[in-house]
Amino acid sequence: MAIIEQPSAVPALPTGDVPQFVTPASSYGVFRRPVTTTGWRSWIFTVDHKKLGLMYAVSATFFFLVGGIEALLIRTQLLSPDNTVLSASVYNQMFTMHATTMIFLFVMPVTTGLANYFVPLQIGARDVAFPRMNAFGFWCFLFGGIFLNTSWLLGGAADDSWFIYQPNANALFSPTHGVDFWSLGLQITGIASLTSALNLIVTVLNMRAPGMTLMKMPIFTWMVLVVQFLLVFAIPVITVALFLLMFQRVFGAQFFNVDAGADPLLWQHLFWIFGHPEVYILILPSFGIVSEVLPVFSRKPLFGYKFVVFSGAAIGFIGWGVWAHHMFASGLGPVSVAVFSVSTMLIAIPTGVKIVNWTLTMWGGKLWFSTAMLFAIGLIVEFTIGGLSGVTHAVSPSDTQQTDTYYIVAHFHYVLFGGAVFGIFAGFYYWWPKVFGKMLSETLGKWNFWLMVIGMNLTFGPMHILGLQGQPRRMVVYPEKLTGEGFFNLHFWNSVASIGSYILAIGVFMFLVNVWHTTRKGAPSPLDPWDARSLEWLTTNPPKEHNFDTIPHVHALDEYFHLKYEEVDTDAGPRLVKVRTAEELQAEQEANADKHIHMPSPSYWPIVLAIALPIMAYGIIYSIVLTVIGGAILLLAAYGWALEPSTAPESDYDPPEGGSPTKELASV
Amino acid sequence: MSGVEETVSTVRSVKKRAAVAVAAVAAAVFFSGCAQNAPQDTFRPDGENARKINHLQIPVFIAAGVVGVIVFSVIIYVVVKYRDRGQEMPKQTHGNPTLEIGLTILPAVILIAVGIPTISTVFSLAKSSDTQCVINVTGQQWWWEYEYPVQKCGGVDIAEPIVTSGELVMPVKTHVMLRLTSNDVIHSYWIPKLNGKRDAVPGRIHPLRMEADHPGIYQGQCTEFCGLSHARMRMDAVGLNSDDFSTWVATQLKPAEKPTDALALQGEDTFRAQCSRCHQVNGLMEENPDGTNSDKPVIAFPDLYVVAGNAPNLTKLMTRTTFAGATWDLLTDECRKKLHDASPDEFGKLYLQGVTPQCFNEADLREWIRNAPAKKPMFSSEAQKDESGGKYRGMPNLNLTDDQIDQIVAYLLERK
Amino acid sequence: MSEATLTETPTPDDDGVVETADHGTHIEYTDDHGHPETTTGLSNNKLGMWLFLGSECLLFGGLISTYMLYRGRHTGTPGPAQLWDIPLTSVSSFVLLMSSLTMVLAVSAAQQRDDRQTIVWLSVTALLGSTFVGAQVYEFTSFYHEGVGFTTSLFSSSFFTLTGFHGIHVTVGIILLMSLVGIISRSEVPGDKAEVVELIGLYWHFVDIVWIVIFTLVYLIPA
Repeated sequence: MAIIEQPSAVPALPTGDVPQFVTPASSYGVFRRPVTTTGWRSWIFTVDHKKLGLMYAVSATFFFLVGGIEALLIRTQLLSPDNTVLSASVYNQMFTMHATTMIFLFVMPVTTGLANYFVPLQIGARDVAFPRMNAFGFWCFLFGGIFLNTSWLLGGAADDSWFIYQPNANALFSPTHGVDFWSLGLQITGIASLTSALNLIVTVLNMRAPGMTLMKMPIFTWMVLVVQFLLVFAIPVITVALFLLMFQRVFGAQFFNVDAGADPLLWQHLFWIFGHPEVYILILPSFGIVSEVLPVFSRKPLFGYKFVVFSGAAIGFIGWGVWAHHMFASGLGPVSVAVFSVSTMLIAIPTGVKIVNWTLTMWGGKLWFSTAMLFAIGLIVEFTIGGLSGVTHAVSPSDTQQTDTYYIVAHFHYVLFGGAVFGIFAGFYYWWPKVFGKMLSETLGKWNFWLMVIGMNLTFGPMHILGLQGQPRRMVVYPEKLTGEGFFNLHFWNSVASIGSYILAIGVFMFLVNVWHTTRKGAPSPLDPWDARSLEWLTTNPPKEHNFDTIPHVHALDEYFHLKYEEVDTDAGPRLVKVRTAEELQAEQEANADKHIHMPSPSYWPIVLAIALPIMAYGIIYSIVLTVIGGAILLLAAYGWALEPSTAPESDYDPPEGGSPTKELASV
Repeated sequence: MSGVEETVSTVRSVKKRAAVAVAAVAAAVFFSGCAQNAPQDTFRPDGENARKINHLQIPVFIAAGVVGVIVFSVIIYVVVKYRDRGQEMPKQTHGNPTLEIGLTILPAVILIAVGIPTISTVFSLAKSSDTQCVINVTGQQWWWEYEYPVQKCGGVDIAEPIVTSGELVMPVKTHVMLRLTSNDVIHSYWIPKLNGKRDAVPGRIHPLRMEADHPGIYQGQCTEFCGLSHARMRMDAVGLNSDDFSTWVATQLKPAEKPTDALALQGEDTFRAQCSRCHQVNGLMEENPDGTNSDKPVIAFPDLYVVAGNAPNLTKLMTRTTFAGATWDLLTDECRKKLHDASPDEFGKLYLQGVTPQCFNEADLREWIRNAPAKKPMFSSEAQKDESGGKYRGMPNLNLTDDQIDQIVAYLLERK
Repeated sequence: MSEATLTETPTPDDDGVVETADHGTHIEYTDDHGHPETTTGLSNNKLGMWLFLGSECLLFGGLISTYMLYRGRHTGTPGPAQLWDIPLTSVSSFVLLMSSLTMVLAVSAAQQRDDRQTIVWLSVTALLGSTFVGAQVYEFTSFYHEGVGFTTSLFSSSFFTLTGFHGIHVTVGIILLMSLVGIISRSEVPGDKAEVVELIGLYWHFVDIVWIVIFTLVYLIPA
């Protein structure tokens, strides 16, 4: 899309109208710059943050299902002691890939997708700062995820647990290519995360609507901003670790060779310096979503906005100082252990502040229990459980009993599933009408929610008991002899957990049923179904390509809410009165539409550059020739990208057929 | 409100209260529903170090539980009281800084209260100046080896180094210090009833205090993912009173006797031919050309054959009750139960009997000798050997005949 | 508070901003004629480059930490004391430092819209950078001949990885410089030419500063 010119007396485009397709004039035959706005090519070459956000979310949800199946297989194996559903080798791959998929291919990309879609809308921008880099990031993630999963078919997936401790990760102890696929795949997805982070930070810092100071930004945008800063500084550290691993395995470097004097703990330090900020990267976006959803469905502003912002920043900051709490049993020495124990307890404080703020947001409100709200409240409850169990392992002597047992598995699933995933689902239900113009069924939504809650608690609740009574993690079998006596022995609780996981799976399935049902039969949604508070709702369903016909000037936090409501003095005291509807605001937008809107144009180069990376990666594993070919594509794409203007010049566009030769392009 | 509305709202609130009650009962069942006598229960300490941890963790768990109950109660209250009943748009309160600061300081204070005893426990558990006995523990794929250096261990004189595996025998009420390391990848030593875990890292030596209150057998598992048979790398700690420990030391250092049983004699030859490359048995001598025993002891060279460079020393195999990474029993179920259930007074005597022919569980050992990789996933086939630089990881399948197995078993049965 | 005025269409004043009496309830709009200003005042590209360089700090931080941990682990094989040729490396470091100076001159020329001068100084910078890389290649080859290769010891693996990554960064920088020379001479620069030169300048200076740190820690401070 190049330049939108609006003749002054023409009424605004009707909502949802798809602009005309105009062919570019300069003919390089099939190599000419893509400009189509419909069809599959408009998705493959898009640089529109909304399309990309949607593709991120859909791909990530696909990987969620893959990771979920991996989990179901694990739980089926653990249904009873000494079970033989999965062999040790397959089981080890299964839990490694389950974790890797869920963390790197589901939670991170889906939150990136939601951030990509909604942050520009929330700050009143038309796109992100670097749209082609945005597209590049998406394709990197997708190709990296596919590349990583081809390992299943090419000799076996990585099987050394999701943090692939050295020296087990060396070629001697992990002879298949699984670990190579893992390290290279994560390098590729890491590039996606890094570019995404650079993009979103610049967008948020530089492209806010006039009047939107940092302390008037919606809280989701704030949390996303903190997360992107975490990514910018954490991804390079794991990049270093992955390079060292790759050099060791592929070229025989000595980094983790104990005979040469290496210290295996180097890997652990490098990994966890990334790994701890990583868990805040996973949870903070969901905290942001919930901080949006709760006020909307309580009809009150977020309680203590400033505190929530500062506690989010504090979590991001302190999160750098706690990494060795993953290493309490690794032989650090009492001084380090004591220091990290204290710093870990410290980080519980800003997290606790948020729980208080969310609860007090609901206090005195007018609570509407839509499905989005249910998931948000579910997050508060489940995250509290997960957070409290986290505090019990901040106490490092306790942690030496708890670490590497199912108690830890319980903790992180409560905070990741009950926390991050519930937040994501709240976001899905909340923002679905804006993205698709239809509302997900509330009835099916309630089935979705309750089955997921019951399933989740049945699956991960018993794991607290399993862990505290001695069942370690990452074990293909647990022996009958260690399960204890009585009806409620560890065999019983393992069975409960497995059955719970099947219920959880049905709950997730209900979401898919809801999506399918809504797509076929859902009623169209109004512009502002939830009577929401932030600017993304000041758009059509779905938003037009340029988002806002005119960029609003922001005066307050929850600007959209203040445009609709005014406080009016009545005899009974001040009352909040709705003075404008969403439709009226939208009409006002269109009536004052901007005359010159520059939108970035689609491009080939992001996907071409992205495809070069897995080709190079296959080359590193199998044949240097592939790496050279991939490198050539990389260089070619880099030059193509650099020489291409971000917005195609007007000379690329013919005037519309039958139209006047003036610049009366409806839009491109 | 009209009568109908009142009824509906009452029904709703009854439903809500019922839901709360059900949840409370479920929680009660849930939390009381623990396994009894779980051998690796972290809340049933049997040694001083585990007890210190327990004294710290119980108040923390209680505090966490109380906080959790308070938070849930508030949430339930809010969710019930402020649901949309058609009321006016609520007051748009933006916050209450005083309340916020107070609710920030409160958890900080609680955490300081938790932090101080935590730090002191950390240092208390790291103390090494009061060590009364040192045992070197080495992990490798997929078993544990113990080496007792020459010392006075808890008052008992150990005149020569003792090498055993699987079962860590130690004197009770003694400050034992384990020095943990590994021969290959990272493992972790964990006997929950006696202490938290500590990783065994190659190239490093990590100390871990270990102390048992009373005689008995304490079970544990490797708790750092270490490959194919991480799930089958177990160990036990065995506590013996001072006299019994002294007897045990003496037995371990007693020279091996010549096999008396005919089958065992054949077994000695078979063992020498098939097993002694990797497994050290003290007292086994090289064979002279005429078939008699020379006075040259057979020295095993597992470093030529195994990546970890080590294989279990089988000299006193039948003084232990488990084998193959403490994963299978040498005792029959009945004898095992009797041993594990024995009172502290009876335990030592029963343990020191070792494996008697009446208590011998032959089946598992035979299966193991017949085809070890089939019983425990290892990386020890010929093809896998090539991938591991020409050495095995774990025990290979030696393709022994039934007769050979009979002989070896008979020979091993006398290793006491 | 007055009623909301929906029927009136406000008209823009000179700078394109609409002022209305009641600021609280109207959408105010700004017609930015397609050239939005940034909230921080820094251009998007410049802010992006600074952030990228921030992430690179962590990358080199990880590599430097690894080196510092392993610098003494080279049993039986030559170590830093035997290998370093401080005079040579000092000279090549000086050359790299001078290239930062010429880079500054290139940026200045670009800001004065002097294409010819810009190309000259960019080329000199690239030349000096290539000299540095050449000296490194010579240095690494001589180490190799003394028996210290990439896989020889922990020290050597860490050293070559750290300096190798740096060298790749310099090489990429040289490619960027030469490409820019080519693009400027064909007048094909998309976007703001002076800013592009400045951005590459930022990258180049960063690479230079990293070298100063590496040179000090690795070569000058004895293990």
